Amino acid sequence: MPGRAGKLELLRELEGVVTFFGSYHAMRAESVLRKSGRRALLIPGPREISPNCGVALRFEFGQQEEVRELLERSFVQYESFHHYPHRG
Amino acid sequence: MKLRYFDNAATSWPKPSAVADAVHRCLVRGGGNAGRSGHAKAVEAARTVLGTRELLAELFRIADPAHMVFTKNATEALNLALYGLLRPGDRVVTSSMEHNSVMRPLRHLSNRGVRLEVVPAAPGGVIEPGAFCAALASGTRLAVVTHASNVTGAVTDIAPIGEHCRRLGVLLLVDAAQTAGSLPIDVEVLGVDFLAFSGHKGLLGPQGTGGLYVRDERVLEPLMRGGTGSRSDREEQPEFLPDRYESGTLNSPGIAGLGAGVQYLLRRGVESVQAHERHLLELFLEGVAGVPGVTPYGPAPAATCTGVLSLNLAGLSCSEAGSALEDRFGLLTRVGLHCAPLAHRSLGTFPEGTVRFSWGPFTRERDVRAAVRALRELCAPDGGRR
Repeated sequence: MPGRAGKLELLRELEGVVTFFGSYHAMRAESVLRKSGRRALLIPGPREISPNCGVALRFEFGQQEEVRELLERSFVQYESFHHYPHRG
Repeated sequence: MKLRYFDNAATSWPKPSAVADAVHRCLVRGGGNAGRSGHAKAVEAARTVLGTRELLAELFRIADPAHMVFTKNATEALNLALYGLLRPGDRVVTSSMEHNSVMRPLRHLSNRGVRLEVVPAAPGGVIEPGAFCAALASGTRLAVVTHASNVTGAVTDIAPIGEHCRRLGVLLLVDAAQTAGSLPIDVEVLGVDFLAFSGHKGLLGPQGTGGLYVRDERVLEPLMRGGTGSRSDREEQPEFLPDRYESGTLNSPGIAGLGAGVQYLLRRGVESVQAHERHLLELFLEGVAGVPGVTPYGPAPAATCTGVLSLNLAGLSCSEAGSALEDRFGLLTRVGLHCAPLAHRSLGTFPEGTVRFSWGPFTRERDVRAAVRALRELCAPDGGRR
């Protein structure tokens, strides 16, 4: 897990957010992305994007298509992809 | 007096020390409710639960860990499958070697109009795939069969049954309470639609853990409905896995411990556990073969078995024998009917029951030798009477 400074950096750099209907899929998405060597960070799900599960996953927005494909290949069910830069 | 634990078929002991460490870590450092929030502790708990789910998927060769549903034990998993699948008029086929966790729900369901057929086991309590498959007439909705008897340890050859079920379109539920962690299980090779297992036996986890592999959730109704932390805007149960079947707070500490147990097995190799338990069975059978007065029950010695041996001693009831084994020799066994009255009827040991010895990955040769010595002493003239 990243430290405090590393986490802030990840929050800023990972501008993509994918949301899920249930937390199993959010956790599984994080696991799948990390095992593939990609950067990922679970965050409390932004209410303005999704009313669903409590967590969402930040990823590198430039890799959106690869990430989408990887999640689908791993049977991960997601709700939607967003460009949602960190504010703060 | 040194106690020697021979009741691993009821619950395994000892557990790898990593199991207790994982439970402790979850309680002390974790603390959040898996899937209920986005804060650090809830996420940590959810990560732990996912980790165990992924390990179980690896162990049973399940492609998508979402199909691995947690329950509190094998009984709940079996009830979930039976009550979620069977409706009045449905035909279900099972064997005479089943545990009451299968037989009681099935008898209850048959009183509600489910048509139940029980296929008798062959001598020695072995379920013959040919005889079992012959009972799967068209119109059968579900076949339920134990992977291994909790009374004799006899292992059922599931693969041909699975293949036959697929051909006929019959769903197959396998009770792996006695085999998960003791025999290699590949859900695809066996062709099972549902695999129910206990977490606290061969998988070496804490009590209060178990699970059900669900191949296709569209055919299975949930047993319970409630909060899942997902789709909180809706008043209807989510239909996706695993949330469809996991209402209410999960047993995260137990699941953490179960993960450590499975990790131990993946490192040691289930094949190595199987070989160890087989070796002890041979040692045990060899030892008691020369003891007059000991009657072992079960399949022919060459058959595939788990680490279980049921026997009786001439001149002693099984409860007298069990008490003497504990009081005089420190051997902890389980006596009686083992929650499987029909299996005992199949073996001809109903209603008296048997003394059951069951061992596990940490049982040593010297434990088995001590058991054989004790049996020899009890069977000596007047040896069992105090």
